[in-house]
Amino acid sequence: MYYYIVNPTAGHGQVKNLQDKLRARLDQLGIRGEWATTTGPGDATRLAKAAVASGHTTIVAVGGDDTVNEVINGIENDSTAIGIIPIGTANRVANQLGIITWPQACDALAARRLTPYSLIAAGQKFFLSTLTLGFETDLDKTVDMSAKGWRAKASQFAKSFGHATTYNSLKCKIEVDSKFTVNCDLFSLTVANQKFLNPLAENRLIIALSDRPNAKLKLGGLVWQTLRSGSRGTLEDTATTRFLADRVVIETEPPTGIMVDGKVAGRTPIAIRLTDRRVRFITEKIVADFKDAIGTRP
Amino acid sequence: MARRTHEDALGVVGAETIIGAGVIVHGELESQSDIMIDGQLEGNVTTSGDITIGVNARIKASIKGNNVTVAGQLKGNIEASGETSIRETGLVDGDITSAGLAISSGGQFSGRSRMHKDSKEA
Repeated sequence: MYYYIVNPTAGHGQVKNLQDKLRARLDQLGIRGEWATTTGPGDATRLAKAAVASGHTTIVAVGGDDTVNEVINGIENDSTAIGIIPIGTANRVANQLGIITWPQACDALAARRLTPYSLIAAGQKFFLSTLTLGFETDLDKTVDMSAKGWRAKASQFAKSFGHATTYNSLKCKIEVDSKFTVNCDLFSLTVANQKFLNPLAENRLIIALSDRPNAKLKLGGLVWQTLRSGSRGTLEDTATTRFLADRVVIETEPPTGIMVDGKVAGRTPIAIRLTDRRVRFITEKIVADFKDAIGTRP
Repeated sequence: MARRTHEDALGVVGAETIIGAGVIVHGELESQSDIMIDGQLEGNVTTSGDITIGVNARIKASIKGNNVTVAGQLKGNIEASGETSIRETGLVDGDITSAGLAISSGGQFSGRSRMHKDSKEA
């Protein structure tokens, strides 16, 4: 049975306007289930735990990344399926799973395609998607990233570029699987589960580092990429170092904050590991795309 | 530098492990896929894939892989199940065991070279 955990403040409270349509669509699909509304931070975790304890097999986070991460932290078995109806300001986790809009999310919930993912533990917190530290984390504290429209975007870029030119790289040491250590000057770092980027890949941490570009044009490119990715990290285009691991211990000088899916979640030094704890997500990801990508490999 | 493709971003194409210039690695670097090193490394490198040592690389290590290409500086032995190639800017101070060896003009090699017994048959 489906259990919906609704964050009424997600996406500037847009669930209020959507609620009737959303319920009607879920009724049509025959997956209405039970509804619960969060009242504050940590409530989605508590509600998810209680729902699992009372026998619900599908928990749906109706909100943004914060709601999803709270739900993940409340589910301690791999028999419960997690679904997402993305109505938050930031819906990176849902988008990465191929779910972009709420109507599409409803159809995906009804289709119930399940993909298992190992959770990543950063200290005592579990997460699925992306951890970042360095310039992007610092940028989030200094520049308002929620503004929309081209003027706001231009202003964001100008402020971000200005910040990048004065940002001091961190001295970083990473111990990897107790086998080797990496020392470098770090501009930004991203950790994710590579299966989250490619559903055909095995569950392993992928660590991507960027050092500070010397040329202003490249620095501008890196800032643009950072803004475009919205704290999803620099895994894709700008990483200068990349490797796989099961466990890393990251130390920086000076110590710095880390962000999980765009939210501050601790400070260095921190141990990050891939756990045995798996969650099954209801996903829209079309695996055929990735098969085609492999098929076209030169 | 060419922009990476979507497939490369997903790690489907290209080296799985990349050690960039300015990065210093100590220890045992192991992989099941291709490795590209352009930084400094001390220890051992082992993979079933190809190894590329970039022009900026300074390496003190034993290298074990399929095809090995050296464009930077390597002090240590190479054991390649495929071919070893020392490029124009490459310098190898150590022994090489591989199925084939190619040294470009300007490339430097100081050590012994041994071919696999079955390399002629191949």
